[in-house]
Amino acid sequence: METTSNSSVFLLTVNGQIEGANFPDYDNLYCKYCYVYGHDWAPTTGLEEGITQITSKSSQSHKLIWNFPLETTFKSTNPSGWPQLVVSVYGPDVFGNDVVRGYGATHIPFTPGQHIRTIPMFVPEPTWRLQKFTGWLLGRRPEYTDPKVVAHGEGREVTRVRSQGFVTISFHIMTKDMKRMGYDTGPTNSSTVQSATSSQSRDAQ
Amino acid sequence: MAELHIIGQIIGASGFPQNSLFCKWGVHTGGAWRLLSGLKEGQTQVDNPQTGDMAYWSHPIDLHYATKGLQGWPKIYLQVWHQDSFGRCQLYGYGYCHVPSSPGHHRISCVTWRPLGSWQEQLAQMFVGGGPQLRNPDLIYSGADRYRLHTETMGTVELELGIIMRHFDKYGVES
Repeated sequence: METTSNSSVFLLTVNGQIEGANFPDYDNLYCKYCYVYGHDWAPTTGLEEGITQITSKSSQSHKLIWNFPLETTFKSTNPSGWPQLVVSVYGPDVFGNDVVRGYGATHIPFTPGQHIRTIPMFVPEPTWRLQKFTGWLLGRRPEYTDPKVVAHGEGREVTRVRSQGFVTISFHIMTKDMKRMGYDTGPTNSSTVQSATSSQSRDAQ
Repeated sequence: MAELHIIGQIIGASGFPQNSLFCKWGVHTGGAWRLLSGLKEGQTQVDNPQTGDMAYWSHPIDLHYATKGLQGWPKIYLQVWHQDSFGRCQLYGYGYCHVPSSPGHHRISCVTWRPLGSWQEQLAQMFVGGGPQLRNPDLIYSGADRYRLHTETMGTVELELGIIMRHFDKYGVES
């Protein structure tokens, strides 16, 4: 039996928000995001990158909230190179310089439905103590020249990092024509909370 | 030919004696599988967490396989290493897990073990580090000749793997 497919292209619609962050040691942070995807993918609508507002902790809560909207649609012929959301968080240090507080990346979920991702954020670390001290003093910390490098696997084996916070992102995913092309992406999520930190979260299917 | 996409991350590891960890990983398949795109082995960054016990790598995995048979379903094997502040590396564990065979998102905790030497070697390991390693890394994911090993339990590695399957139902495979 032959699967009939009129289309060789499928669409992925991402509606979501960068909810906020959890950084115990830092305050007054803003976030930059961008998408990284393979050669077969192209965004059709929506913004590919953006910057959030600067947020601070309030007296009631230690959470940092951005509530920043993400609305993008991608088209592709092949699930390889599935888009990833790369997030980088910046904030002021003691002297007022703008330094990076964390980089992180996550794949956009592919089962339709709601997903919540809590991604760990890490910064590159200088290798020796003197460099750490002068970096703190002068505000010149190591950062990646291109944040998109955290979405790739190559070349990471020589980097030393320190993880120091988390960013929470929620997604609502829709796909079009993936089933028609023969792809099975598993059961649809009705309402699942998946967190990278809690070990006791399990699917409610 | 049926196709399999493995899209996910090696999130991190916890439960090890020290926290500054990195992981060498690879995917092993049988002869009927062909890798169409993606890197099937690699090494993560070294993470030294500021707070908490878990070292986070967030290392992306994006593999595209085509296959003619179900034998030799892909397995991910891992070696967790510790790097101290002087840059010396020490083995902290071996582990493997099968790539899930049902489509969707999966959260997997992969357990790890480390070979245990004689009591003299364990005493030396307590002071200067090091320790026995496997000569042939195939033993991480194969069962042959395992009976010769005496090992100790180490921590767990967390993985988040998403599986997309294509045309498996055309061949009558239920998953």
